[in-house]
Amino acid sequence: MATGTDQVVGLGLVAVSLIIFTYYTAWVILLPFIDNEHVIHKFFLPRAYAVAIPLAAGLLLLLFVGLFITYIMLKNQRVTKKAQ
Amino acid sequence: MTKLAQWLWALALLGSAWAALTMGALGLDLPSPCREVLWPLPAYLLVSAGCYALGTVGYRVATFHDCEDAARELQSQIQEARADLARRGLRF
Repeated sequence: MATGTDQVVGLGLVAVSLIIFTYYTAWVILLPFIDNEHVIHKFFLPRAYAVAIPLAAGLLLLLFVGLFITYIMLKNQRVTKKAQ
Repeated sequence: MTKLAQWLWALALLGSAWAALTMGALGLDLPSPCREVLWPLPAYLLVSAGCYALGTVGYRVATFHDCEDAARELQSQIQEARADLARRGLRF
């Protein structure tokens, strides 16, 4: 078995993914079948955000990946230019 | 058929089925809660796939079998090799 920080990080990731999955499942799948007067609707944003937030997060992720690749490529170019 | 073609075919099929159902093109009168569940379905499947991937990675990291002895042995061998090569004139 892995030790120390590896275990903590790994189990943390599992916990985060389970939390996100249960909240999102309740939001998308369960909430439409619950009466609009029930108190549980207070814990969830309006339904449109269920698509808007993952979409925005996905675009942000793509942005960061693109910036990272650009940075690495520029660094590589500078290193080869110095070596010439 | 290649795997890519299979995946694209399946995606096109499921995507067109979802589009037809959400826009009422089939003329079915679905009850309101079912429609409410249907239209965010692609986003939901993507998020669940992402959660599954994240959870699997985390689980495999946490249960990875470390070999402490082999790691220590490898480190000492690396030190030995560096000393040997430095002696023979290779500069790091």
